[in-house]
Amino acid sequence: MDSQLLLSGFIFGLSMASVYFLMSIGLSLCFGLMRIISLDQLLYYAVGAYLTYTVSTASGNVWLGVLAGVAISGTLALLVERFVFRRIYERELTFSMITSFGILIGGVGVIKAIWGVVPRPVRMPTSDLINVLGTEVPLYRLLVVAIAGLVYLGIWVFLNKTIIGKAIRAGIEDVEHVEGLGINVSRLFTITFVIAGAMSGLAGGLHAPLIMVDPNMGLEVLAFVFMVVIIGGLGSIKGTLISSLIVGQVVSIGSLIYAPLAMMAPFAIMLLILLVKPTGLYGSTMVKK
Amino acid sequence: MVNAIKWWWGILLAFGLLAAGRLFLPLPFINEVLIFSIYTIGCSFLLGRVGFISFGQPAYLAFGAYGTAFYLFYFGTNPYLAILAGVACGFIGACIVGPLFVRLRSDYFALVNLALAVIVFYMMQKVLAEYTKGDNGLWFLTNIASTPILNIGKSSDFFIFATLVAIGVWALYKYLDDTLFGACCLATKINEAKFQFLGYSNFKVRLIAFVIANTTTALAGSLYAVYLGSVSPEVTAAARTADPVVVTILGGVGTLFGPLVGTIAYTALRDVLSKFIGNWELFVGFILVFIMLAGEKGLWGSAAPWLERLFSRGKSADSKAEGQR
Repeated sequence: MDSQLLLSGFIFGLSMASVYFLMSIGLSLCFGLMRIISLDQLLYYAVGAYLTYTVSTASGNVWLGVLAGVAISGTLALLVERFVFRRIYERELTFSMITSFGILIGGVGVIKAIWGVVPRPVRMPTSDLINVLGTEVPLYRLLVVAIAGLVYLGIWVFLNKTIIGKAIRAGIEDVEHVEGLGINVSRLFTITFVIAGAMSGLAGGLHAPLIMVDPNMGLEVLAFVFMVVIIGGLGSIKGTLISSLIVGQVVSIGSLIYAPLAMMAPFAIMLLILLVKPTGLYGSTMVKK
Repeated sequence: MVNAIKWWWGILLAFGLLAAGRLFLPLPFINEVLIFSIYTIGCSFLLGRVGFISFGQPAYLAFGAYGTAFYLFYFGTNPYLAILAGVACGFIGACIVGPLFVRLRSDYFALVNLALAVIVFYMMQKVLAEYTKGDNGLWFLTNIASTPILNIGKSSDFFIFATLVAIGVWALYKYLDDTLFGACCLATKINEAKFQFLGYSNFKVRLIAFVIANTTTALAGSLYAVYLGSVSPEVTAAARTADPVVVTILGGVGTLFGPLVGTIAYTALRDVLSKFIGNWELFVGFILVFIMLAGEKGLWGSAAPWLERLFSRGKSADSKAEGQR
């Protein structure tokens, strides 16, 4: 295989990894702090993508659309957290899983009602090609990678340098002690959930120009996101980053070698890793207390 | 004898009522309900008795459906053998993935199953397209030979067959609830560590429960295949993964008749709503959230105590006497 193809495959894999990372960080953070599995993140992803479509066709600027997507997904996450999740934090895991799946299905229905079932194309914000080591690479994919990198950096700084982030990290270790220190845990939960929703919305907005936007897009990306989360281990940001890089590359390079590999290979890797370590690479053995 | 009647009467009454519904309800509706309830009972057993939630039931449904379809399309014509082939496929499939999956915590279990459903969909649609004919699916209605006594190629005879199968499945699950194994399942759901201290293996109990539940699901898949005469990758599409879970919750988790009641309600809701509104999934989602927030008892879970009281009113004198004794 020639190196140009390999390099463009690598960049493609990085951009996929960025989208997966942004999506799964929401799932991972929610699990780490609140011990819920929030399948409705996939809904915020679709909402982000659809708003990108609507705003970018209305205003002509895709980045404006992405911003609107992030804002609306965050707001939606806030509402869902207030009205639904607030009541079920105390319950067991399966409970949050089923409820959030209900929200996802219902939300997809609402999307179908508003935008219809026909897939919509989103214009690329820039169709420039950039020369990397003698290979022409679309600039937009590099931008997606850069944004995901910035987000990772931002989240790292937020979790390690700000007081709220430190409280969240402490909460991941032991919620009750944090509450005992007089920190408003319920507000921490809200903040985390909104961040997670906004990240998913950002993933949808950034992914929208690369694919067609359709109501079931959340369900289509779901398998990959789950593989990322499972390989990395729920609740670990670092694990999520590493496993999204692995899955992105395997999908991209695998499909260069033999197309059906694209989906089967990450699944095989996931099974292998689970065989060795049932909690994923960086997953803790913590269970709901 | 009296005990046998007591044991059987609930199941027979339920399916007797459903069979009586044949007089005034359309046949396809009842057939759909019968197959779907068999599909759901596996999920209900896993969720209610073993504490595992599986969003990947369509994968096991597809194992059964494609086992049957391959047999009828490529090898033979006998529908009964085809159903056996489908169930065998489901059994083998469950035995292969079971040991891998049941070691996982319940959250990982759900996610891995969902991923499996998507992978099976993709395999059937793209990777094995040569054998499965991709999106078009396999059509083999004309390959089904007519059989003596019960000709299940005909939908009226299929109805009788499906009723008998459903009664069998319900009897099996009722029997499981009564046995030590049923108690073991509940114990591993409620307290893993204590159960282990008693000298049992969580892994073994879960594996057996997993295989039983998913073989039942595969049976439903084979019934679908024979009934519809065609199988396409659509059976395991990601959008369908919620169905069994929704029906389980709607009917009442872990109850014996929850899946049946849930299926009737769900199928009726779908048939009625889809006439008026294009996207009825919207309501399904919100009903799910509503039931979860309202106490997750479901239709049968809420109705059962009430029915019991109504029924036992006549016998209250006896039970009082017994209580004093």
